[in-house]
Amino acid sequence: MTSKFSITPYLFLAPALLVIAVFVLYPILAVVYYSFTDYNIVTPPVWVGLRNYQQLAKDPIFWQALKHSFIYLLVTPTLIFLSVLLAIVVNRKLSGIHAFRALFFIPVISGSIAVGIAWRLMLDTNGIINGMLIALGLLSEPIQWLAEPAYTLPIAMLLTIWLGLGYYMMIFLAGLQNIPEELYDAALIDGCNNWQKHWYISIPGLRPQITFVAVISSLAALQVFNEIFILTGGLGGILNSGVTVVFYLWRQAFRLQHAGMASAIAMVLLVITLLFSMMNIRILERGTEAES
Amino acid sequence: MKKLRVFRHFSLVLLTSLILGACAPATPQTVVQTVEVEKTVIETQIVEKTTVVEVEKVVEVTPTPGPHPEAVISGVEAGAEISLWTFWLSPTFDDYIKSTIARFQEAYPGVTVNWEDHQATFQDDLRNSFAADNAPDVINLSISEGWVSDYATQGLLLPLDDVVPQDVVSTYFPNLWDQQLVDSKHYQFPWYQGIIVNLVNTQILTEAGLTIEDFPKTIDALPAFCQTIKAETGTLCDIRLTVNDLLAQMTYEGGVQVINEDGTAFTFDSPEAVAWLQLYVDMVKAGTVDRNVLVTDQDRVGLDLFTTGKAAFYNTGPNLIREVRANNPGLYGYLAVVPAPVGKSGVVGKGLMALSVKGDTAYPMASIALAQFFSNPRSMLEFSKIVSIYPSTPASYDDPFFSAAPVAIEDSAKPYAKDAVSKLADIVPTVPHKADVNNIVLQAAQQALFNNVDPQQALTDAVAQANALLP
Repeated sequence: MTSKFSITPYLFLAPALLVIAVFVLYPILAVVYYSFTDYNIVTPPVWVGLRNYQQLAKDPIFWQALKHSFIYLLVTPTLIFLSVLLAIVVNRKLSGIHAFRALFFIPVISGSIAVGIAWRLMLDTNGIINGMLIALGLLSEPIQWLAEPAYTLPIAMLLTIWLGLGYYMMIFLAGLQNIPEELYDAALIDGCNNWQKHWYISIPGLRPQITFVAVISSLAALQVFNEIFILTGGLGGILNSGVTVVFYLWRQAFRLQHAGMASAIAMVLLVITLLFSMMNIRILERGTEAES
Repeated sequence: MKKLRVFRHFSLVLLTSLILGACAPATPQTVVQTVEVEKTVIETQIVEKTTVVEVEKVVEVTPTPGPHPEAVISGVEAGAEISLWTFWLSPTFDDYIKSTIARFQEAYPGVTVNWEDHQATFQDDLRNSFAADNAPDVINLSISEGWVSDYATQGLLLPLDDVVPQDVVSTYFPNLWDQQLVDSKHYQFPWYQGIIVNLVNTQILTEAGLTIEDFPKTIDALPAFCQTIKAETGTLCDIRLTVNDLLAQMTYEGGVQVINEDGTAFTFDSPEAVAWLQLYVDMVKAGTVDRNVLVTDQDRVGLDLFTTGKAAFYNTGPNLIREVRANNPGLYGYLAVVPAPVGKSGVVGKGLMALSVKGDTAYPMASIALAQFFSNPRSMLEFSKIVSIYPSTPASYDDPFFSAAPVAIEDSAKPYAKDAVSKLADIVPTVPHKADVNNIVLQAAQQALFNNVDPQQALTDAVAQANALLP
């Protein structure tokens, strides 16, 4: 049996490969190179070897940023829990339920910048949150929410959850609607109450969706930037309380003009996200094996 | 036979006359009466008289080509095509920019100008354009943000000393022309200037039992003033640290020498620097300042707080009064404008905007001509009439526009504008690794302001970090 070489499939692949080479492969290779240079964007890069990585290892703000990024991963389980709950709630045949589903989806299509600005206004010293709390007698004087280091990260995480809830809810809703109704009927005959019905049927039935959401939301959490940038006005919060790895990368590149250092941070982030992706894929594969 | 022919002719004529007469419109019947009327008869008399009259006789001659009064730069390259980038002027001032370019092209025929306005991403766009080797020929750079010295130290701007005639240099205020020198060389034409004032909400002041005369004249008096306002009205002071350039702020406000004379060691942990930082630490501890505004790098945040009527005063330029008028007309009626408090340096501040020329431009003289043209007395005066900015050229202030008594609150700085602009000065020395050192100072200041670190300790640590950056 002889295999015959044909150029046709390569010609079909060529346009896509070219685009990937220019817009993905070249930038990645460039970042690898810049991470070993002193580069301020305006003047040509100067080779410095491992100096950027050595400085990064000694930089307390980078470690603080890394810690914040890992703390930000708490968004993932919270999002999964809340969006599964919401999907179960809206997975009912009630009149007007479509309107509710649409309402929960609105933050997704609003865009993080617009929502971030709205949140910033609400959380302002003279904003609606303080106004309501004072009116209800819960506060005597306004809290400067976004100027309190302890609140910066939780507020940003809350914003991420609020933004993503509707999107993940739709994924879980689609999953729930694929679970055969007969399983619920059987559970009912076996004497399951509502909670048991969901615990033993809905949650296991949503396993592929939960794994998928865990992968994409954890990667998104590791790369969070917009929420931090908008809420802290581009400063990363008082005492760097909201600085995450991507935010720190941006600050190094565009505030301090250290593109070489920023590239080194990007490489570290690349390794972390690769490890995360591999870990997630392994979990996904195990889940599929267990099901089969 | 002949008689018969004559008769026929006569009959034909008679018949034709009868037919024509029958076709004619009927004539109204008239009664003819004879009436005696007085009739004036004007008779023309011819009088011969000779008079000698002197008249001005216009003699048309072919015009002789002469220098355009605004074309003061010689050697402009024929057929030059140059680009101009402005910072945040479009669309509000499109007409002004376009008409000035049109005037420039009348003064320097054959030069083409391509204008672009860049806004929030100006710095990123400019850096990228330098990296891509397509930076604009003429660039609107901020003096207050230190952009001229930043780009000049990297060798990206054209030194002007050898190419700009002395009579052109002398049209600018000397203090403005001499700003942001790098190695004693000039890299900018001073463009439009701002006068830092404080916009005051007189309603809050009255509620606090204060008058406009009580407004602090010096920075040192601010904490007590804010304490009174907080105690009497519950509102916080709308004060902003210049978080991107604290070295400059401590120089102006605290009279701090940030680096030693020979530039070999930082000195911003001196008693003056500690006293300056302590002033803000005390205000934060007393809870009299809005912390969001204090550490923001966006002027909008502070201005918005003032515009909503929730702050007693805000330090800004009179040109931004238009924002208050547009967004809160109710507050506009209660506005007052006072000079900004002065720090220990005695200098209120530095200039605002400049025009610089790219170092490797293909058309240096055309670019210099454009930068000079936009900052000449006429262009500056016309710009001042559109918005409350102030010229960098003393001659512009000779116009009645500046000597007329102010009518609107926006114009209240006009009478003393010339004097104020003539005193603006950049007194901050050139600092190596400026962005990094400012970032170190910001981290130190935040530690002192919000983390109970002693200001002396915070600044001493910061100086040690900054000194490590020096060769």
